[in-house]
Amino acid sequence: MKIVIAGGGDIGFYLAKLLEQEYKNIVLIDSQKENLKSVETNLGIATILGDSTSYKTLKDAGVDSCNYFIGFTSSESVNILSCILAKKLGAKHTVARISNMEYILNKDTLNFKINGIDDIISPEFLAAREIEQILKEPSLTESIEIEDGKLKVIGLHLDENSGIVGKSLAESAKFNTDNSFMIAAIHRSGKTIIPNGKTIFETGDYLYFITTDKTARQILEFTGNPLIEIKNILIVGGSRTGEYIAHRLNKNFKITLIEKDQTKCNDLALRIENIQVVHGDCTNTKLLEEERIGNYNAFVSVTGNSETNILSCMVAKHHNVTKTIALIENIGLIDYSQNLGIDTLLNKKLAAANFLFKKIIRGNKLSFLYGVDAEIMEFTLHNDSGLINKPIKELNFPKKAIISGVIRNGEGYVTLGDFEFKANDKVFVFSDSQSSNKVVSFFE
Amino acid sequence: MKYRKIDTFKMIFRQIGSLLIILGITMVVPTIVSLIYSEYYSLFGFVISGLICLLIGSLLYYRIKSNYEPLKRHALIIAAMGWLSIAIMGSLPFIIIAYITPLEITQGFIPAGADYQSSLFFFKNPLHALFESMSGFTTTGLSMAVHEPSIGNGLLFYRHFIQWLGGAGFVVLTISILRQPNGKISYLLYNAESTGERLRTTIIETARSIWKVYIFLTLFCFVFLIMGIYFLLPEYSLSDNIFDAINHAMAGMSTGGFSTLDNSIAEYQSQGAEILLLFPMILGALSLPFYVRFFNLKQYNQLWKDLQTKSLLILFVIGSLVLSFMLFISGTISEPIRVGIFQFVSALSTTGWQTSDIHTWDSASVLFIVITGMIIGGSLGATVGGVKIIRVLILFKGLFWRIGGYFRSEESVNIATVNNQRLLPDEMNKELATVSTFIFIYCIFLLLGTVIGYYAMGNGFTIKDALFESASAQGTVGLSCGITIPEMSPILEVTYIFQMWIGRLEIIPILVLFRAIFFGTKPFLS
Repeated sequence: MKIVIAGGGDIGFYLAKLLEQEYKNIVLIDSQKENLKSVETNLGIATILGDSTSYKTLKDAGVDSCNYFIGFTSSESVNILSCILAKKLGAKHTVARISNMEYILNKDTLNFKINGIDDIISPEFLAAREIEQILKEPSLTESIEIEDGKLKVIGLHLDENSGIVGKSLAESAKFNTDNSFMIAAIHRSGKTIIPNGKTIFETGDYLYFITTDKTARQILEFTGNPLIEIKNILIVGGSRTGEYIAHRLNKNFKITLIEKDQTKCNDLALRIENIQVVHGDCTNTKLLEEERIGNYNAFVSVTGNSETNILSCMVAKHHNVTKTIALIENIGLIDYSQNLGIDTLLNKKLAAANFLFKKIIRGNKLSFLYGVDAEIMEFTLHNDSGLINKPIKELNFPKKAIISGVIRNGEGYVTLGDFEFKANDKVFVFSDSQSSNKVVSFFE
Repeated sequence: MKYRKIDTFKMIFRQIGSLLIILGITMVVPTIVSLIYSEYYSLFGFVISGLICLLIGSLLYYRIKSNYEPLKRHALIIAAMGWLSIAIMGSLPFIIIAYITPLEITQGFIPAGADYQSSLFFFKNPLHALFESMSGFTTTGLSMAVHEPSIGNGLLFYRHFIQWLGGAGFVVLTISILRQPNGKISYLLYNAESTGERLRTTIIETARSIWKVYIFLTLFCFVFLIMGIYFLLPEYSLSDNIFDAINHAMAGMSTGGFSTLDNSIAEYQSQGAEILLLFPMILGALSLPFYVRFFNLKQYNQLWKDLQTKSLLILFVIGSLVLSFMLFISGTISEPIRVGIFQFVSALSTTGWQTSDIHTWDSASVLFIVITGMIIGGSLGATVGGVKIIRVLILFKGLFWRIGGYFRSEESVNIATVNNQRLLPDEMNKELATVSTFIFIYCIFLLLGTVIGYYAMGNGFTIKDALFESASAQGTVGLSCGITIPEMSPILEVTYIFQMWIGRLEIIPILVLFRAIFFGTKPFLS
């Protein structure tokens, strides 16, 4: 598979880094020498200096034989144009990064596919969607739906009050009365563990569950995490992300939006119904107190400045706001969210890269988990597979991976040791990144 | 280029000339009606008046050369002076016909068996003629013709016809017929008369579409009334029925309130006919732009989305019920529900058709109908008078908005929603200031009229009657508690003429005119 990425900025770089682990044939185009230099020194991929809207550059990059062309420069029009050109030159699938939210909201009417752009991606939009998801399911740190929610992957932090801290997985199993979920992975101090019966839970562990229970009530009872209900949301920053969140959630939540710029305030106030827009600086603690920050259940900081976002979230946490979310530029900081006392740190680029990754790797990797060295893979069992009709515990499955769920005839099942596969089952596997190849060969 | 005063005058008089030309042309219609009824003296009167209007109008319009670009204030002055000159010129047929018609002919107008003199003679007094004309063009409906049928069918038709012309706006009519040298002048004039909404790309198109809808609705009412009366009162003669229907359709759609019958609508003595006539009044109270949107632009959701239309319909129902109840507990009249509903609809739509002797009502009911009916009036953009319901709604919205503001921080952008439009605080404050100054000045003039009325009215009336009559004149309603009679004091008559004039133009143009007359056009320095 050949992939051409146009744009070696932060987001292109990160995407290239992700893809490099999987695919050998990646080409990155950028018009800035410095950008290419940092790519060359850090990644082992081919680079081409030039303008991605130039015919020659595209030809040199071998766009005519590529499977994916990804227009990820900072300019929307360049992305659109280069995608159109790439398609004409023979790229099989093109993806353009855009910043105008209207294009996404009216995707069906505008139908970019006709013009040769197969997918459009807006990092701001994707970040907003992630935040929307979190605010709709506030008790969970992470929630990924598989096949319309027939199975769900849920991420949760363990704090010291949790009843299972200090217990092993086998010991705690008795709390899981109806087998509606299983623990698929644990993320602990930067490392990812695929647990076995002897694994002991510690404070600060980040657990990945797989479950058939849509509400996740059972899991919350199991870990002792509180069930949070959100009614009031304070959004800081009227950026595109902030606007989109307000736009999507104004019907079900009471929303206040703080923005620094007066013209932008007026503009937002006129355009979005049912929200209160406040003009002011969010680092002004007096303003936050006047707005009764303590009465909000959620605090979302999405200004263009990462430091401001982090700081204001810390202030919010101090005022006992239940859920704090900050948008940050620096991906490295995500691991420190617990230490900073912020519930969720989000990165636009990561959101975009993750989304793209899912799109491109349709094969067997279903989802890539944030900052975690594990992935969820999907396999379908054929009639002649040797794995059928045997309990899972009798299969010699790789140690650093775990079979966690099955979808059979449109229904989800959590797979424990006694579970037996049948033909045409869709199997979902949590795997350590290093073991993923082993898992793939196991199923083949 | 030097700006000379004479150029301004030229431009203003030229525009007034254009209004008079249109007035002269419209005289053709009552002429034809007079011909149908073989009333040759009336016919002669209309021809003479029409020619005078045409002559003066053409002299002003074609002889004065002016390519001066008008400003907003000029447009307001043209509207104010234009309406006054139309009322004056429109009174000509009344005077001329009153003088030239011989006694024996006028005797023929009086219905058989009636023992009164023809009311035509009242118009020998030019002030009475002006009163009638102003009452007509402003769609008020207060009348000096005590016994309506006795003035002849030609003049009777003319009264309703001028109400109908005045209803949708004489300036709007002129704009849609006479081509103006540039779009700006049409736009300014359009805004000066009816608080403008540009529904189509150009003002001429807008004015034309408004008139088209207006004509269509009137024709609809006409057919509706003929069929209704035919089924309700089969013994009523068909020729009378057609004449009544065409006049009532025009008076109802324009919310004018003149009637061809001696005792207004009470003459029918039929509950069915009263229910029938509610319909044209309610149609007339809804805004014409609303109809254009509804019929031409097919925006059917306007019926429940348009704040003004929605709240007016609600107020019709609630107000009628409350008034009926108040009349019922006062015990002053029989059939309080029938009277209450008809009179409230008549007052709120500022039509002025009457079925009850309001002089006998108790003060509370009078006060209620004055405030919730005649002062509020119908929709902005309709043919109604009053302060218009949307302004009252804006005031209430503003009140809640202001109080709500205390529950938000000072930095919050406190959006106000008026009629599905979202307004920023600055815009809302501006809107509120405009509306509240207007309502304030409206009340001031209303009270002035009441005070003058109090001292100048006849015996047997109280302050409530003075208030009622003043509100009726200024709101261009036309309901009367009996103060308005040919024998009334000339001072009071002039007062009511003035109130009708300012009421139709929403006061501001007249104030601008006075400012220009007394203080010149230079801005005040402070």
